[in-house]
Amino acid sequence: MSDIVPLIGLETEYGIIREDLEKSDPVEESMLLLKACQLPSVFGAWAYFRERTHDDMRGFHVDRLAQDEEEDEFCAEDRKRPYSYLEMKSDRVLVNGARFYNDHTHPEYSAPECRDLFQLVAHDLAGEKIVAECARLRNMEIGKNALQVFKNNTDYSGHSYGTHDNYMIPRKFPFDYWVSHLVPFLITRQLYAGAGKVGSEYKKGEPFKGLQLAQRSDFIETVLSIETMTQRPIINTRDEPHAVPGRYRRLHLILGDANMSPYATALKVGTTRAVLTLIGREKIASPIELADPVSDIRNVSRDKTGKRPLKRTDGTAISPLEIQEFYLEQANKYLEGEEWRWTLHEWERTLNDLRHDRERLADRIDWAIKEKLFTRFMQEENIEWDDPLMQSLDLEYHNIDPERGLYYGLRQEGEVAAFAPVEEQVEKAISCPPDGTRAALRGRAVEKEKDNIKNIHWTGIEFKNGDTLDLTDVITTEEVEQALNSLKEQYA
Amino acid sequence: MNMSDPLRREEKKDTAPDRQDSGPKSPDVSRPGRDNILKRMKRVDPKQSEKYKQRTGE
Repeated sequence: MSDIVPLIGLETEYGIIREDLEKSDPVEESMLLLKACQLPSVFGAWAYFRERTHDDMRGFHVDRLAQDEEEDEFCAEDRKRPYSYLEMKSDRVLVNGARFYNDHTHPEYSAPECRDLFQLVAHDLAGEKIVAECARLRNMEIGKNALQVFKNNTDYSGHSYGTHDNYMIPRKFPFDYWVSHLVPFLITRQLYAGAGKVGSEYKKGEPFKGLQLAQRSDFIETVLSIETMTQRPIINTRDEPHAVPGRYRRLHLILGDANMSPYATALKVGTTRAVLTLIGREKIASPIELADPVSDIRNVSRDKTGKRPLKRTDGTAISPLEIQEFYLEQANKYLEGEEWRWTLHEWERTLNDLRHDRERLADRIDWAIKEKLFTRFMQEENIEWDDPLMQSLDLEYHNIDPERGLYYGLRQEGEVAAFAPVEEQVEKAISCPPDGTRAALRGRAVEKEKDNIKNIHWTGIEFKNGDTLDLTDVITTEEVEQALNSLKEQYA
Repeated sequence: MNMSDPLRREEKKDTAPDRQDSGPKSPDVSRPGRDNILKRMKRVDPKQSEKYKQRTGE
């Protein structure tokens, strides 16, 4: 387990549509999708009163977020429906410790917190399978294959929804310290973490035609912000540690894409954890200071070579590839051990492939898979990137129906490689929490006492009989072991 | 040609040289796996992304 980043997590909001209806209602469809879930779970007991979404890492509390107003407008609209707010949320906490619910009209799968990289990738894939199974069951109710669900981040009309990667980090360093060292890494990790997007939704500046690296880069408007639905930042400042506040922060990154390729998910989270570990061990001497990181994130997304230079505050320039190579060099120097072996090896291999022959990425990096697949198709069909069909194909790449989705089609045909390190873990992750984490306690409580649970949250459980289970300080494997031992008789 | 015509894919299929003539072909394109994925792509409704409207999320 990383000493600096003991827990990692991923939340994915899925896109949803009914293809047989003139007007698809995402509130209704998301709610009915959640209702179709047949896994053992606690339903409608999420402890919203424990949420702290208005505390800012910079040391202040925000009374009102811009997104509150938008949410209020939707709530006013949604109040006309014959459902309560909690019915529409349809919160489930599953036996594997995950949360599965409707967030802003998107079915969201928040994987249980994990300590191991491949454990998290397996749980992210388990979430994909759970959502796909719910869609299948819902389509049986409908009587045809009309409900479609997408693991992506845009509707190509300016509406984006998130895939957030989360890292528990120590509180002891000032937030600014993390930010200054992390920003150059984050805006360039899309070189391998971008899921690819046909076209652009950024309204200012020169129009863009073609495939860009990432889906979310058009939507990033500032370096720091507590907002998540407007003014989206490179680093979100929400201070909601889901743990003892004096010891931990939760770095809540909202700039990333939903990856269909589990390899890309692993590389995204593995490299980010490696860089955070370097920062936490004070191994990065002086940060790379970019003159305009917000514009840079879009510029990086539009350059598939990774070689177009970015301006630094000292007047010099550096390419996205060079920035990534700088972090990799530090990681190779200071991170040792089996825990880092896969991440460092694959990080290096991927940057080398990008530098010398980016087509080699087409077996594992989403944007490169799309580039190869779509280029071949356009040549055969004699069409260009701005043909409306290309965005439809881009969307269909992310369809999680195995019979329709283009990524799944490539997998079935062996055109993209299976991600061997997690293949055998995925089925287990559907019904088992990650070993050695507090999610195991949450999952055990759901399995053994679901009818006795009054409310439940990442940080603890309140039972109807008056008992409580506090998980705020159950972070390390030793703390988890101790807590499991104390509950041994209860959950025997 | 109207690019949004859903029949366009079928029309193209009939005239695709790889399907009819016996001239040189790219070995990759002729692989059955790739043919299957191309078939899957040709079934996609060109208007799918236009119809796909979502609410803003986080």
